[in-house]
Amino acid sequence: MSGSPVALIVVAAVVLGTIVFALIGVHRVKMDPAQYIVGGRSFGTIFLWVLLAGEIYTTFTFLGIAGLSYSQGAPAFYVMAYGATAYIIGYFLTPAIWRVGKEQGLLTGADFFETRFGSRALGVGVAVLQFLMIVPYVALQLSGLQILLGIAGYGAYNATASVAIAFLVLALFVFGTGLRGTAWASVVKDLFVLGGVSFAGIAIPTRFFGSPSAMFDRVLALHPQMLVLAHGAAYHGTIWFISTVLLSGIGFFMGPQSWNAVFSARSGDTLRRNAMLLPLYQGFLTLMIFAGFSAALIARGLKGTAVDQSFLLVVQRYYPAWILGLICSAGALAALVPASALLLAAASVITKNVAGTFGIATSDRARTGLTRALVLVVAVLALGFWITSQRTVVELLLLYYNGITQFAPGAVATFLWPRATALGVGSGIAAGLLVAVPLAALNISPLGINAGLIGLAANVAALVIVSVATRPRVSATAPSIEAVS
Amino acid sequence: MLRPILAAIPIVALTIAVPLVNRVEPRFLGMPFLLGWIVGWVLLTPAFLWTVARLERR
Repeated sequence: MSGSPVALIVVAAVVLGTIVFALIGVHRVKMDPAQYIVGGRSFGTIFLWVLLAGEIYTTFTFLGIAGLSYSQGAPAFYVMAYGATAYIIGYFLTPAIWRVGKEQGLLTGADFFETRFGSRALGVGVAVLQFLMIVPYVALQLSGLQILLGIAGYGAYNATASVAIAFLVLALFVFGTGLRGTAWASVVKDLFVLGGVSFAGIAIPTRFFGSPSAMFDRVLALHPQMLVLAHGAAYHGTIWFISTVLLSGIGFFMGPQSWNAVFSARSGDTLRRNAMLLPLYQGFLTLMIFAGFSAALIARGLKGTAVDQSFLLVVQRYYPAWILGLICSAGALAALVPASALLLAAASVITKNVAGTFGIATSDRARTGLTRALVLVVAVLALGFWITSQRTVVELLLLYYNGITQFAPGAVATFLWPRATALGVGSGIAAGLLVAVPLAALNISPLGINAGLIGLAANVAALVIVSVATRPRVSATAPSIEAVS
Repeated sequence: MLRPILAAIPIVALTIAVPLVNRVEPRFLGMPFLLGWIVGWVLLTPAFLWTVARLERR
């Protein structure tokens, strides 16, 4: 180990290079709210694919899959399974949502709820909840960034200050460029992640064991239980696997930043083609499972949150600094690019659905200005939150995953069950959160079922009961998914 | 009715079928069977969705 700054210099150069590249990409685009928040609804198949891959696959996909494979083995396979499940659901759901967005000029997820259920209160409620869920999720990206910068600096530097600097530069970047800038930055991020993942999943097992297949032979000989799931209701057993895949697949496109991305598509077919193409990216992440298992054989004994560093420590110990720098660059971009989409999503729901509702910033110009200012406010809030509560961030991630899924029943009901009312949907979201969040926080999973899925059941029950008990809206017209496709 | 059924096949394979394929042997491209099964279905998913899209066009 040395205090060599080479790896950190590589990371800084790549991050700055990405920002410059994206600034050139958005050069001379005139910013109105639709351009700033949803890229003018003009993204074609490839650009949208890059953006979606850019914001879906975060630093915790990058580090987390390897970390979970390292510490638990087969439960990590759920990441592969839920991606495919999510894209199949998205194939049907996202073009329908896009169509409504296009016809009604929607920019955010909260807009969708407000318009479809004719309730400003529901729009404000959804906006506030989405905002609250984003802040810890941004903070989580910062924790990932801290791990990466710490390793790139060979533990010789305090990474907190560099995280703060990197993040504030990023906030200024989003301030200037909006969603289009995020999409251009995603181009670079995806290239680096593809390179880093290939290296981690192919070069590492080949160097140490001869081939990935030989690596699995070793795992099988030493830790055979890591390659299969525990049975039934056991911790991280098959019931947990099935319920978590379903939960994550259903909630996948409900994140506030995903609504922005869906509305940025040029057409419904753009989204259908993306649903077909994204599983290929997901399949590629299998290599991170290879990397995690390799690290489990090479560097045993990491515990707790240190497991997320497993394969990076192998790279740090056995490879030259410039390779470590490139791998950490991929990870740093995987933290910063999704964080930029999250900042924009948080700022846009507040501008559009809270300020707009209370009559503030109603002109296009004022809206763009307010969204930009809020990007900086959210960035400072997330940074403050991260610095003050670093240790609980991982637990707060549960709020995000269990939380965003609770928007799914209402969104689906607008297409399949027009009788759903604003009060029904609001009650459903509330019931879902009240059940899922405490169970998840206390780590309770009845019968091995993921708490979020139980929350989802409570959500659907409350949605149906309250909707039936309340008066239907006069103009309850809802096209089915079939009709809009 | 054919389209939702076609689309549901990979989801079923990746969820409720998992307890039936929860084993190491036979190995698939060097991977333990469970992982190979999951990766295989993820990579087959585009083919299923493509077929769904073709049926939609008719």
